[in-house]
Order: sequence, then C-alpha cells, then structure tokens
Amino acid sequence: MALGATAQEIGFTAAVDRNAIATGEYVKLTVTLTNSQDRFDAPSFGGLTTVQGPFENSSFNYVNGRMSSSVARTWVLTATAPGTYTIGPAQVRVGGGVIRTEPITIEVSKSATRPSDPGASQGQNRDPNLFITIALSKNKAYVGEQIIATYTLYSRYSNIELSKYEISKMDGFWAEEIDLGNTSWEDKLQTVNGVQYRVAVLKRQVLFPQKSGTLKIAPFELECLVNRTFFNRGTSLKARSNSVEVNALALPANKPEGFNGAVGELAMSVKADRTTVKANEAIELTLTYSGRGNLKLMQAPELGFPNDFETYDPKVIDRINVNGSGMSGSRAFQYLVIPRHEGDFQLEPIQFSYFDPATGNYRTVDPEQLTISVSPGDGGPSASVQRPSRSDVEVLGKDIRYIHTGDLALRTKGHHLFGSLPWIAGIATPPLAFVLFLGWRRKQEADEMDVSGTRRKRADRVARKRLNEAEQALRSSDRNAFYDALGKALHGYLGDKFGLGPAETTSQSIRLHLASSDGGTELADRFVALMEACDMARYAPVEDRPRQQLYDEAASLIGRTEQLMRA
Amino acid sequence: MKTWYLSLAILLSAHAYSMTPTEADSLVSQAARTYADGDASAALLLYDSLATTFASAPLFYNIGNCHFKLNDIPHAILFYERALLLAPGDADVKANLELARQQVVDRVNELPLFTLGSSWSAMRGGRDPDQWARRALWACLITFVVLALAFLIRQRIIRRMLFAGSAIFFLTTLLSIAFAAYRHSEVVNRSAAIIMAPKVDARSEPRTEGTKLFVLHKGTKVNVLKEEDGWSEVQLANGTVGWMPPSTLERI
Repeated sequence: MALGATAQEIGFTAAVDRNAIATGEYVKLTVTLTNSQDRFDAPSFGGLTTVQGPFENSSFNYVNGRMSSSVARTWVLTATAPGTYTIGPAQVRVGGGVIRTEPITIEVSKSATRPSDPGASQGQNRDPNLFITIALSKNKAYVGEQIIATYTLYSRYSNIELSKYEISKMDGFWAEEIDLGNTSWEDKLQTVNGVQYRVAVLKRQVLFPQKSGTLKIAPFELECLVNRTFFNRGTSLKARSNSVEVNALALPANKPEGFNGAVGELAMSVKADRTTVKANEAIELTLTYSGRGNLKLMQAPELGFPNDFETYDPKVIDRINVNGSGMSGSRAFQYLVIPRHEGDFQLEPIQFSYFDPATGNYRTVDPEQLTISVSPGDGGPSASVQRPSRSDVEVLGKDIRYIHTGDLALRTKGHHLFGSLPWIAGIATPPLAFVLFLGWRRKQEADEMDVSGTRRKRADRVARKRLNEAEQALRSSDRNAFYDALGKALHGYLGDKFGLGPAETTSQSIRLHLASSDGGTELADRFVALMEACDMARYAPVEDRPRQQLYDEAASLIGRTEQLMRA
Repeated sequence: MKTWYLSLAILLSAHAYSMTPTEADSLVSQAARTYADGDASAALLLYDSLATTFASAPLFYNIGNCHFKLNDIPHAILFYERALLLAPGDADVKANLELARQQVVDRVNELPLFTLGSSWSAMRGGRDPDQWARRALWACLITFVVLALAFLIRQRIIRRMLFAGSAIFFLTTLLSIAFAAYRHSEVVNRSAAIIMAPKVDARSEPRTEGTKLFVLHKGTKVNVLKEEDGWSEVQLANGTVGWMPPSTLERI
C-alpha cells in the first residue's frame, strides 16, 4: 500500500501497516520523505483518532559515496465506530513544487471482542484491574470450520498468582488445545481506554463448531491471589471473562458423495507400497489426508477391497500440528491387505469430498484408481490357507418349494396293496409252494428207500441164480467161469443186502453191517475168507480147497444170512 | 412261481390305470406347464381332475402348492398333510407344510416336523405308501426259496447257513407285514382333519347350546375322535377336546 508521488531522487510515501481493522484496534500510519529536509504536515485522519504519535525517525546513509537520508513520522490511529475512513493526502513543498501522497482508505469493522478492545462488550461488574477476555479469530464459521479462541488475562496488579482454572464449557464445539508452553507476561504493556495493563495469554484453543446455530462459549473463570508479599497474604480475586457467541453456519445441503464432514483445505492421496505381488504377500496401502482443517475428526474410510483380499484394521498415523494458525498437517491410514488369490484386481476409487469454507463450496477429490496384479503364490495356484471370513447365506425371502414335475407315481384312489387279494395271494403263495415242495421231496425219498428194499428182497434170488451158474461151471469144469460166478454171487448178494455199491463190499464194510446181528461176526469172517479164496483162485493158479466145497460153503453162508436177517 | 409274480405285477399295474396312462401323463405335464406359467388356478383344476381318480403324494403336494399360491392356506395344509400321510419322509412336503403352518392363527403345541427322527420317517416309508407291503412280498418269497434250497443241498455247513438265512428273512417278513399293517391303518383310518371354516366354536356338548370351550381358526389340525348326530368330537394336539359341526372340517 505504498504509493509515492516521486520527484527526481525525492521520495514521499504514506503507508499503513493494515487497512482493515476492527473497532478499537490500532493502525499504524507512517509517512516517509526521502532525500529531502523539508518539513511536512500531518495528513487529515478523516475521523480516526490519534492514540500515539507522531514519532519521528530520521536516518542517513552513505552508500558508495552517495548520501541518502529519510525522515519518517508515525502515528498510531484507532476508530471507535465502524465504517470507512479515509486518511487524506500528506503534502510537502519541495523546491517550489508540492508533492502529495495518495489517500488511504481504512475499513473498520464491528468487532465485539478483540484482544485490543476488551472494553467493548465486557460485563459491567468487572474488576477494572483484573479481567480476562476471550477473543475469536472469527465470529461466523461453518460447522467444522476451525476458529481460534484466545484467552487473555489483563491485570494491573503487581503480584499475581493464578490458582484455579475453570475450563469453560464447550457445548457444541469440539476443542483442541494449542500448546503455548509456560504462561508468561508479555513484554509490552497494552493500553485499554488509556489504561495500561500487563497482558498474558492464558490459553489458546482451536474450536470446531459441531452444530449450526448460535453457539455460546461460557465465561472463563479464574481465581487469582494478588498483592501477595512476604508480609501480606494477599487478596483472592475472581477473574471472569466475557461470554462470546459464535454464529455457526450449516453446511450447504448439496452434500456430494464421499463427504464425511471434512472442512478446511484438504487433499487426499492413495499409495500402495507395491502393485505387483504374489498371492499371500502383504501390501501396505496408505491413504493420506493432508492440509488445514479438522483432521483429527477424519475417520478411516471403508475401502472396497475384493473379497479375496484379507484386510486388517488400518493403522492411523497422525502428523498434526495445532498452533496459532489452527490445525494442519496430515492424517494417514495405513491398511495392510493380503491378496489370497491371483488375478488383476482394481480397487474401487475412494471418493473424498470436503467443504471449503473460504469459497463456501464442496470440493471433490478423485484419486487415481489403483490396480493390483497378483501372481500365483508359492503355495500353489490359489493357496487358501486362510479363507476370508465366510458368511451365512442371506435369506431374502421365504416361499414354498416348487411342484413335482414328471412322474407323479399315480395310483388309483382307494387302492392299497396291503390287504388286497393279489397281496394276500402273493404272501400265501411261497409257504404253499414250500409245502408242495416238501411233499414232492418226501415222495422222492420214499422212492429211494424202495430201491434198496427191492434189492434186499431180491438179493437171495439173484444170488441163487448166480450159484446155479457156478454149479454149471463146476460140472463143465470151467474154472474161470466158476470162480467168476461164485465171486459175483457173493459180492452181489452182500451189495444188494446192505445197499452197497460194487466197490463197497470190502471186508470192513461186511463186518460193519453183519456185526450188529447175533453171530454176525463169525459169519462175516467166513464170508471174507470165502471171498478171499475165490479171488486167490481167480487171479492165481492156486486152489487150496476143492471147488465143490467152496460152492457148498457159499450156499450155506447165503442161507444162514437169510435166516439171520429174517430173525 | 416267477411267472406267477410277473402276472401279479401286470395285474396290479393294469388295475391302477382306469384312465389311460397316456391321458393321465398328458394332464400331468399340462398342469406342470400351467403352474410354471404362474397360473395356479388353472393348474389346480387340472390336478383336481387327476385327483378324482388318482392319489399319490406328489400329486397331493402339487395340489397343495396350487392352493398355497392361491393363498388358500387351509386347503394347502390339507393337501400337504395328505401328501405327508402317503410319503412321511418327503422333505419338500415337510418344508412347505412348515411354511403354510406359519400362517395359521392358532398355535397349538404340535410336534415340529423336522425334529422327528429321520430314521423313523424312513421306517414308515418314503414316497411309496405300499413300500412295506411290497417288501413283505419279497421277503416272504426269499424266505421260502432259501428254505427249499436248504432241503436240497447235502453239505452240512451250507445247509445250516441257508436255514439261518431263511429264519432271518422270515423275521423280516413278519416285521414288514407289521409295518405294512401299521401304515395301512394310518392311511385308511384318517382321523386327523383340518379346520376349513374361518372360525369355529368348539362346544362342550354336541349341540349349539353347549358351553363355548375354545375357538379355532382355519388351517388348524385336529384329531376327530368320533362323529355323532351331525357333530364331531375333536381333540387338539395338546389334548383339549370339544364338539364342532363336521362341515367346518375336512378329513386328511
């Protein structure tokens, strides 16, 4: 804001340290004339009152053999009522001409509480020698926008001990303390309404309105012990601050998607430590919010990972500074994700929107989309060592099951297999058939019995017929025919008698069958001896007994056996 | 003997179809198509025409489904119960009946369908009501065939084994007949009934002046104990007994 009407080598400027103040605040006006020794007058202040000044300050410089000089006059001005004030041009006569500075406009706004104007809205019952002010960086803020509140103690007492703080209630705010270090008196005295105070900033807070409407900050109370000396116990005084109000503005209604209450000047970035991994290897994904705003209220967003990814709760890494200019820095969420299956996966883009109070608009940040390509892990094509958590099938609705199609296995109504005539017949048939089978079997057995009986009955007759043959052979002296017929007669008779086959008429079986009857053993021995004699004579040229005798023996044996069996 | 059984089977199957089999089959497929198209009332007409001559668990199940879709819950329950009677183990029938019962107003403590042992359901027979009667026939046949073999074979060990096997089959036959008789009585003596009227008053005596004991609503299952003078004595699953007009119920 420095403009000068300049002549050759002569400079004349008027400057203020700021041109927008609140009522009760100070503005410093400096008018500087260089390379001239002429005197100049104070400009008209246009309604602003002079608090201090003018102070004069002159300087001379030699640079490279050239001399330069300057004279500056400084006023400290203030305004008691809001409005627009114009500081008129300053004039200086130089060598017959007149140089003017440009007029300066000062905007004075209405401010209830500024640290330099504690008297504007203080309560009446205030101890004029000891009081506290709460000053806000702004009285009007959006919900979530940060406001800095400064608590300042003004005192005219020499010895003062602060004993007890009462933290004012913060209804409707989320507050974050700014670390000030040790509370100490400021070097400079401050003048309020012409009275000089010692000033100490007690604390500073960053406030975030949490709801819209008029929010009140309750007064801050402090108990102090003043005038305490070695001989004096001092006086206990209660310092109480004014209560201030903040007009919290609701955020505009057109909230974009992905807006989660972030207010300020923010940015978001998503980074993965690598985008090409093997299955079952971990990826570190970092989502960072940075800038100025209510960073500490940022929540971890839900990241839409594919189902095949195992995710863990994110780690929060804060690099947040809270200082006189508010809250700034970054908050990062570090996600550890482990893809369990191979493939190319695209992460859903994370929408992030915030409200910019400076422009009064929402802003949306779109991060680049992340693609993660997963190659097969070391444990086979898809190592399902640890499956992602399984969930129950969600039942959306209930309905009956579908009809049976195809064969309905139709049968006539009222027809039951059980108890029906065919069924009874079917149940009765097998036992009846079995009874028939048993009858057939018994008859068969009876027939078999008949066969042996006939044989037994006819044994004597067959044997006599063979003996007759033997007798004829005896007469015709046919040796072979005789023994043959005699052997057959004996074997045949015994076989028929006891139901034996041709090979079964051994001495053992003969003894076995005859032994049961009385005198059977002796009979059996004679049978065996006779049969042996026959066999010997048949196959060897030895005849130790005459044929007639053998014949008679055979006839008598058969006769005896018949008698024995009949008895 | 084999030919005899064969002819028996032919006799039985011929007996089953007084409507020609092709006729019935075309009706079945037509009804299924209609149902699939979402026209439950038309499908119900077709199934009902089949039900005049035929009976089977799947048929009753389908009819029950049609009633359910037409929001006629008492009839749906009636037909599901009929299907369940013929096929006690059928999971589809049980599931749908369970769902239909949820819409019944009266909550009488009835045994839940699915807690009954599945083995018992299997014993009572799956989808074939004649299962045990048929098993009895086969077991009887095998018993005596094995017994006859035992008489014919001379080797002592085999003979003994055959006798033992025959005895086991004989026991099986007896058991099968017992089960078949039980199932038969279950199917024939249908004492259970479903309330069809929207609301019935059960009275203490078989006359309208009797004390009103309790009120039943449509879809509730009761057991009919006896019928007398145009009144039915019914019993609820929890044992409560009362009289009501038979026109308000339909037997399963």
